[in-house]
Amino acid sequence: MSARKFKPDDTVDFVVVGSGAAGGVMARELSQAGFEVLVLEQGPRFTAADFRHDELAYWFNGELTNKLDTNPQTFRKTAADQAQRVTEFPAAWYAPNVGGSSVHFTANFWRFHEVDFDERSRLGAIPGTTFADWPITYAELEPYYTKVEWEVGVSGLAGASPFDPWRSKPYPMPPLPVKSSGVLLERGARKMGWHPYPAPMAIASVPYKDRAACAHCGFCIGFGCEMQAKSSTLYTMIPEAEATGRCEVRPLSYVSRIETNAAGRATGVAYFDQDRREHFQKARAVVVCANGAETARLLLLSANAKFPDGLANSSGYVGTNLMFNTYAQINALFEHELNEFKSAQVTRVVHDWYDCDPQRGFYGGGGIDSRIGPMPIAWSLFAPPPGRTWGAGFKSLLEALPRAMIVAGHGTSLALETNRIDLDPELKDAWGLPALRMTYKDHPDDLAMARYLQDRGVESMHAAGALEVWKEPVVESTGGPHLLGTARMGNDPRTSVVDKYHRSHDIRNLFVCDGSSFVTSGRGQPTMTIQALAFRAGDHIAQFARRGEI
Amino acid sequence: MDASGTSRRSFLQASGGTLGMAWLAASWPQVVAAAEHAHQRVSDTADRSKLRLLTPAQARDVDAIASQIVPSGATPGAHEAGVVYFIDQVHAGLWQENAAEFVASLTEFQAKCARHHPGVAQFADLSFDDQTAYLKHLEHTPFFGGMRFLTVLGLLALPSYGGNADKLGWKLVGFVDQHAWQPPFGHYDAGYAGFVPYAKVAEQPS
Repeated sequence: MSARKFKPDDTVDFVVVGSGAAGGVMARELSQAGFEVLVLEQGPRFTAADFRHDELAYWFNGELTNKLDTNPQTFRKTAADQAQRVTEFPAAWYAPNVGGSSVHFTANFWRFHEVDFDERSRLGAIPGTTFADWPITYAELEPYYTKVEWEVGVSGLAGASPFDPWRSKPYPMPPLPVKSSGVLLERGARKMGWHPYPAPMAIASVPYKDRAACAHCGFCIGFGCEMQAKSSTLYTMIPEAEATGRCEVRPLSYVSRIETNAAGRATGVAYFDQDRREHFQKARAVVVCANGAETARLLLLSANAKFPDGLANSSGYVGTNLMFNTYAQINALFEHELNEFKSAQVTRVVHDWYDCDPQRGFYGGGGIDSRIGPMPIAWSLFAPPPGRTWGAGFKSLLEALPRAMIVAGHGTSLALETNRIDLDPELKDAWGLPALRMTYKDHPDDLAMARYLQDRGVESMHAAGALEVWKEPVVESTGGPHLLGTARMGNDPRTSVVDKYHRSHDIRNLFVCDGSSFVTSGRGQPTMTIQALAFRAGDHIAQFARRGEI
Repeated sequence: MDASGTSRRSFLQASGGTLGMAWLAASWPQVVAAAEHAHQRVSDTADRSKLRLLTPAQARDVDAIASQIVPSGATPGAHEAGVVYFIDQVHAGLWQENAAEFVASLTEFQAKCARHHPGVAQFADLSFDDQTAYLKHLEHTPFFGGMRFLTVLGLLALPSYGGNADKLGWKLVGFVDQHAWQPPFGHYDAGYAGFVPYAKVAEQPS
């Protein structure tokens, strides 16, 4: 069956805003459940043939990522500062295209652990933060993690990490072949008494569901996959949604507001087409999956007389509690060639510090992985330590690239009411809408945990026999691609935006599901959980619709 | 929908140790298509016979600065990789909105250098060591940071952008743009004996 084309006057069952990791799953689940679904995506639709091995285009010309000339952003550390317009990489960094950031992601697909959902109960309150339990448990989400692994396609080795949570089914595909960086991290970590294990990746290690296996070309992080081996929703969920004959994905459609009626129900969304003509799409229900930054912005942009603070915002929590996950990097050089430019970025992960340990003196948890990244230009620009950034010393480092690897630390970010997305009071985007403003300052414990993980990375590389090891400074965040927490789930409408089924507390037929739903940040790789939430939400929303409860 | 019969069969073949063959058989058409496509994109179509934006004197200084950042020597450097053509072409095309600012800061650099070195026509005419010494004073300026950025891009971006002539930049860093690779990828994974499981395995609570 071919993709549906709705007419301008049609009232669809669901309009889904955003076609990324969450929106793609939502479209597939709701259309397969028998509903008519229109997905509006602000960016274009690419195919595998559009993607190329062009580091300049994707990393330094923003070809796949959000454009600051048309969609400007501002950033400040605290509300006391004047927000400055962001000029290089976007503060909220994402890929506006069909498939969203699942097109250019690295494809690390860690499940959250049980502790991620109830850590507040285990540890107690952390003063000054909005650290809280999720309204769901790992056990409630587990079937949907399994669904992601089998429906979207994840490779990995079940039971390999002694710290992994229980699972109901093994991975559908074996792990990708280990790279030299993975062997070295494994060697060093085992010597330290830790437990490295094969990285779970949303990349086909063998042919899977009519998709080819990874060709090990190395262009994953920041690139679209030419082989369709990366399990982007562009290649997986969206074609399956369209195949139902009940789903249309409409690219180049920039949603500007969600409309509500006198009864306080959503009636549909207004959007601009590629010629900047405005349209209104009528819908029986609206599902926002526009990522943890743009979802919050859209809810705020949709303020009206009945909802003057924005939609679903009676708690005042829309946009707040923004979390990123911390990142800490170690560079290492070895005697022989690793050739890390080949194959998927990550092949080994160590999770021995996943749980918070009060002995460390601060809150936090995380893991380290082996990688290089992104590709030659970025490494050459950013990895050299002071004193070796130009001249003969720099050149010798460039020549050492085949012998180089990175260990990356990935850790927790605490939720703070002061870290947020809102609307810039002055700056407008190219459509005249208020620009996105970000306010963010890491909690000191987040930086302490990042440095702790970095030190473990250093130890692992020395234990593996590295000739040289150097750290990149851990500094306060000024943005990132993991956009979490800005419309958190919860049972209490006073301290959360959506309920445990992703229905907004305030508007019965308005649902929100993406990184914004997170209550805690997890330990570094959110997309797996975003998709598990989307499968679970899709399941429940379809049941509500069938029972006439929307 | 769980894995189809085909996928299960491929999985079994793969786990039977014939990953390479199974992969090749199932993926060959995609590999060929993607490789041909990639080859078209990587083909070196740059014209390095003329400058499009910079004057010859500006180009001499840009080339000299780039050669300080990645010097020539036993192996080729920024000069041999044609970094100056990248910097020229990118400001005449892709990033032309930055061209005026770039030329203005280059002109300012040249004027300052002339004041600092009376009797020397331009930066490129200084000895290599004098160039190095002069740039040491400037290494934290936005101009030098920008030149470093452009030099690295000119060295390592696709040859079609004007630099990385004969893929010399890629050869320098040991990068090979090839569409498909098979393990072993490097020295250390070649002899990897396989993942040895740990004793404790998490189980579903009863």
